[in-house]
Amino acid sequence: MEILQYALRKFITGIPLILGVTFISFLLMVYFGPDKTYELAGKNATPEQIAEIRHQLGYDRPFLVRYGEYLRELVTLDFGYSDSTGERVSHILERTIPISLALILPGFVLGNLLGIALALVAAHHRGRWLDKLIMGGSVVGMSISFLIVIIAFQIIFCSNYGLGWFPVRGWNVYDFWDYLRYVTVPTLATVFVALGYNTRFYRAVLVEELGRDHVRTARAFGAPPAEVLFKHVLKNAMIPIITRIMFSIPFVVVSGALLIESYFGIPGVGLVTYDAITTGDQPVLKAVVGLTAVLFVLVLILNDIFYKLVDPRVSLQ
Amino acid sequence: MPARLLILALALLLSACARGPDTDGLKIYRHSLGGAPSSLDPVQSATVYANHVVVNVYDTLYAYKYLKRPYELKPNLAAAMPEVSDDGLTYTIPIKKGVYFIDDPAFPGGKGREVTAADFVYSMKRHFDPKMRSQGAWLWAGRIEGLDAWKKAGAHYDQEVPGLRALDRYTIQIRLTRPYPQLIHTLAQGFSAIVPHEAVDYYGREFSVHPVGSGPFKLETFDSVRAVLVRNPKYRREPIDLAYEGYDPARHARYGIAGIEGKIPPLVDRLEIHFIKESLSRWNSFTKGDEIQYATIPKELLNEVLLQKQPKIVLRKRYADKYFMLAGLENGFVHTDFNMKDPAIGYNSDPERQKRNHALRCAIRYAFDWAERNRTFYNDMGFVFPGIIPPVVPEYDPDAPRDALEHNPDKGRRLLAENGWTADNLPTLTFGGVASVDSRQMFEQFRGWLLKIGYPREKVQFDSYASFGDYNRAVKQAKVMIIGMGWGLDYPDAQNTLQLFYGPNASPGSNASNFNDPEYNRLYEISSVMQPSPERTRLYRKMNRIVLDACVTISGLSRRNIYLWHKNVISYPDQSIVGGFHLKYVDVK
Repeated sequence: MEILQYALRKFITGIPLILGVTFISFLLMVYFGPDKTYELAGKNATPEQIAEIRHQLGYDRPFLVRYGEYLRELVTLDFGYSDSTGERVSHILERTIPISLALILPGFVLGNLLGIALALVAAHHRGRWLDKLIMGGSVVGMSISFLIVIIAFQIIFCSNYGLGWFPVRGWNVYDFWDYLRYVTVPTLATVFVALGYNTRFYRAVLVEELGRDHVRTARAFGAPPAEVLFKHVLKNAMIPIITRIMFSIPFVVVSGALLIESYFGIPGVGLVTYDAITTGDQPVLKAVVGLTAVLFVLVLILNDIFYKLVDPRVSLQ
Repeated sequence: MPARLLILALALLLSACARGPDTDGLKIYRHSLGGAPSSLDPVQSATVYANHVVVNVYDTLYAYKYLKRPYELKPNLAAAMPEVSDDGLTYTIPIKKGVYFIDDPAFPGGKGREVTAADFVYSMKRHFDPKMRSQGAWLWAGRIEGLDAWKKAGAHYDQEVPGLRALDRYTIQIRLTRPYPQLIHTLAQGFSAIVPHEAVDYYGREFSVHPVGSGPFKLETFDSVRAVLVRNPKYRREPIDLAYEGYDPARHARYGIAGIEGKIPPLVDRLEIHFIKESLSRWNSFTKGDEIQYATIPKELLNEVLLQKQPKIVLRKRYADKYFMLAGLENGFVHTDFNMKDPAIGYNSDPERQKRNHALRCAIRYAFDWAERNRTFYNDMGFVFPGIIPPVVPEYDPDAPRDALEHNPDKGRRLLAENGWTADNLPTLTFGGVASVDSRQMFEQFRGWLLKIGYPREKVQFDSYASFGDYNRAVKQAKVMIIGMGWGLDYPDAQNTLQLFYGPNASPGSNASNFNDPEYNRLYEISSVMQPSPERTRLYRKMNRIVLDACVTISGLSRRNIYLWHKNVISYPDQSIVGGFHLKYVDVK
């Protein structure tokens, strides 16, 4: 009950955040985003036809009226139809979000789990060659552009110039075997890049925890290294770890992975969002931005609840 | 808790999966394109990408012969070529009997009904219904009797349009307000594809992603990366007559096309069209062997793949052993226009300044170096020609004077001096373009040339736009001073490019230069109602000369396209005019 009350209270306080994010992003969309009129107008449009299209797109209505309409759409979760494809926005999201999740989730989970594992090893061997090796590897992973990693992995694992083990493009996923074929290389690319950032971050957190009094006390009591690491260090470092993981979730769910989807020909939400940004497809953009904002608030709530779960001293009051 | 998470993850995975189609034993052809269509509604099929799907799932009255070049029209859904009245105003078109729309829930009982003349009338009316957001209405605006008035009266479908009638179940009559020799070409485009009103009513806005037609294929799935089409089992059985389609052994035999003689299109069971913007990814997929079977060569790999680019394009042996190649000029061209609405460089209320502006534009043209442009940006494979009648149309004049292509900075410098232009009084030039590396490099090259005619560096600036949409908007609003443009022909008739400089088509129309010359307009109006003839060609060429003499454009270059496809595919690809009309003839060994 306490948690439910807290969640409700927190959601209400999150509403200004949603309003702020949606307002600013809608302002940018309307005044700085691409104008769809001329794309829809055809080659020899007359001024009357252009005015007609602007009216249909709602461009001729006052900004605040359009923003009010946006909020109504966000509350009802009905964003209408895409200005580009004519498809209902909810159908587009229903179709693409599960694909993006299925695509990104393995890389997300593995990237974080491996990051934590490597960070534990590095922290445990702090200052020694193993620590330096892991940190050096992390810097390499962080330094190479994601695009280069994608192209290189595609050539190495997928193309005929390399091993040719996996498909270059596509998402013909009809069973688990198909899934493995299509998700492996994108996952490897994601993990390769994410691992560097994750490991460095988690190592910093764990090293800080290693220097705390309770860890020294545990060691003084003769606790074995594994127990020290997992029970006394990792458990107490969970708050920043949870924060990092939780705050990545909205991007994973809604924004997808544009580059991965684009280069591997995967019809996920990242590609749809990118197309919407470049073509000024406002109904799709409004949905993506609005849902990301709402997810952020939900994540904030969940984050605090998880804090409470891992550390009973945290109060939800 | 972990078990629940696992179940959730599995559920998620399964939701991203679907039951796979049974493709065992099916002939599958995997095509690729460099962009994706947004809408598959014929009224919005403005791109070559959309046409690849639209002309394969819908029927058009006419189509281009598969192999004949220059292009030649043939009846498609129409039973014969139109009967045209002596005054050129009335077209009577019989359509084939026994052609059916695909089965779809939009029809009563889910069974597709017969296509009738009334469907064509309905499909054309849709272009003039504001709710449909047509991008093709310009092809027929002001040309079909009563159609514009029908729109003004509220676009009620039960109201008749005098110039667009179904005389009976199988006969269409079109009455024009003035002769329109290109009308039949427009009836071969995806815009004129025939849709059933039941499907438009049933799917509403989402009709754009649920095509219901009578074409050789029907759509199975469509998303941002591919469209999957499967054979329409109800498609009419019309054996291929290669001689009729323009088969020429000298040009086509090497591709094995003789093997499709007498077969009934479509020749494959499943057609996948992959939309791949990333050229390297497309190439990796193409060379993989079991993925896409058709691609173009990425710019970065031209030297690796081609043994020779001039005078003939030759593939290296390791590629020639595996792939067929076809190289040809695009059905269009690139050009750089001056915005004549800008008094600093175009029309000016002061006749003296207007004369000096003309000299300024001509001097800039003398600075322009087509050979270098071709080498730098088009791998020296583009074809440079003088004016706005590109080499792919029959009216092209190979013997036209090439003075407008002359790169002569000294002459440009002299012309500026003779007309009183000095570094101090020259206007600041802004060169518009999308914020991309290519645009920026083109601008820098252009500025480099202008320095050679004495233009101060700081007076040549780049006007950068975040997206093509933004740039297009600025062009349509006549806000761009020097406009880099490309034009893809809608139909193989120079009228389609000459209209780019017709005064009444000024911004927001397609006349981006806002050129408005009374003599040019007069000749355009005369020629636009003439059937193809030597006299019309003469007028076309005269108009071309007017544009060149006015120095209103620096033009032009047709890019060369190189297509490759796997050797187990029998095809003669063509993705320019009405993209994708060849796909029903593609076979896989």
